[in-house]
Amino acid sequence: MAARVDKDTFESEVLHSERLTLADFYSDSCVPCKRLSPVLAEIEEKYENEIKLVKININFDLELAEKYEVQSVPAILFFRNGEVVSRLDGFVKSGEISSVIENLK
Amino acid sequence: MYDTIIIGSGPAGLSAAVYAKRAALNTVVIEKNYGGTGQIAESERVDNYLGLYGESGFDLGERFRAHAKALGTEFYEGEVTAVLSEADGYRVRLSDGAELQTRTIVYAAGASPRKLCVKGEAEFARKGVSYCAVCDGAFYKDKTVAVIGGGDTALGDALYLANTAKKVYIVHRRDQFRANRLLQERVSNTDNIELILNAVPTEIAGSKRTESLHLIRGGQGETLSVDGIFIAIGTIPNSGILQGLAALSADGYVIAGEDCATSAKGIFAAGDVRTKPLKQVSTAVADGANSILSVTEYLEENGR
Repeated sequence: MAARVDKDTFESEVLHSERLTLADFYSDSCVPCKRLSPVLAEIEEKYENEIKLVKININFDLELAEKYEVQSVPAILFFRNGEVVSRLDGFVKSGEISSVIENLK
Repeated sequence: MYDTIIIGSGPAGLSAAVYAKRAALNTVVIEKNYGGTGQIAESERVDNYLGLYGESGFDLGERFRAHAKALGTEFYEGEVTAVLSEADGYRVRLSDGAELQTRTIVYAAGASPRKLCVKGEAEFARKGVSYCAVCDGAFYKDKTVAVIGGGDTALGDALYLANTAKKVYIVHRRDQFRANRLLQERVSNTDNIELILNAVPTEIAGSKRTESLHLIRGGQGETLSVDGIFIAIGTIPNSGILQGLAALSADGYVIAGEDCATSAKGIFAAGDVRTKPLKQVSTAVADGANSILSVTEYLEENGR
């Protein structure tokens, strides 16, 4: 189950994460974000030992969104060793997320 | 061979699925987005669907879907790329290469947000240009935004955004709004909303993100400094697939009456994609029911 991170835990949970980390930026009442949730849960299960999934609610942590140039949700940012190595904007299908993960593995 | 293929999983398509299952038709619902429920999911609150007052559009859509599923409706995720006419029905081609054969089609593909079609719109999409205020509104806390449009959606979006934004412009090409009176009153009572009327947007500009909206008002060029632009200028029917097969109106809707029968034998149009005076959940649901009655009659007349 993906944990919600905020600006206080972002550094330890995302930037210092040992695994490829997917940060799901979402907002309350955003329908495509709601639809993406089960897709990401599936991905998390499929790559259980390879990735880490975290969620960032932009209603509360707008600063993080600004910092990473996220201006629309949902947006998935892929972090490795503290850097953004890929991103997917908007609602995406499971296969698109998998293929980014496969490429980064 | 299916008795009927339902294209679209909004209220019209899901209602058609319910009636089709109850009529024991061999059917499948084809949907572009898995788990979709059409445009209604984007409505913050639906206050005019009988018996379910105040339900969010998302929850209402989920209820419709659960109902169709409870009756055993099958769903197929895929985008229809072509509908081909054959001697005994139609062949529906999908983006994954699959082809499905059917006697009839209930075409309920709905409508999509209309694009503004100005320079910069595509370039700044997701970088300040949005079609969903409830999704992206939070990015503009204490900032300045423009909402383009003059209908219920545009004014509703402006009011929603005005709760958190510093300033909201409503840019509309006419001097009057189509939106309902209640919304218009609320807009005129909101201090941080400014109306820019008789204005036609010409360009969205910026560097890394949206910075300004260029427009022409009264023959003069003007520039509004904005951080975000929300486009709410209505919808366009997703009818391209039927072009050349069924008659479309000048603005692209599939021409059909209450029986949903189109000019193409065995193709029935339901929901927002059909020519009709009032596009609502209630009328979409009614179309779903009527279209299946027409399908049943068609199959009986043409030998099931």
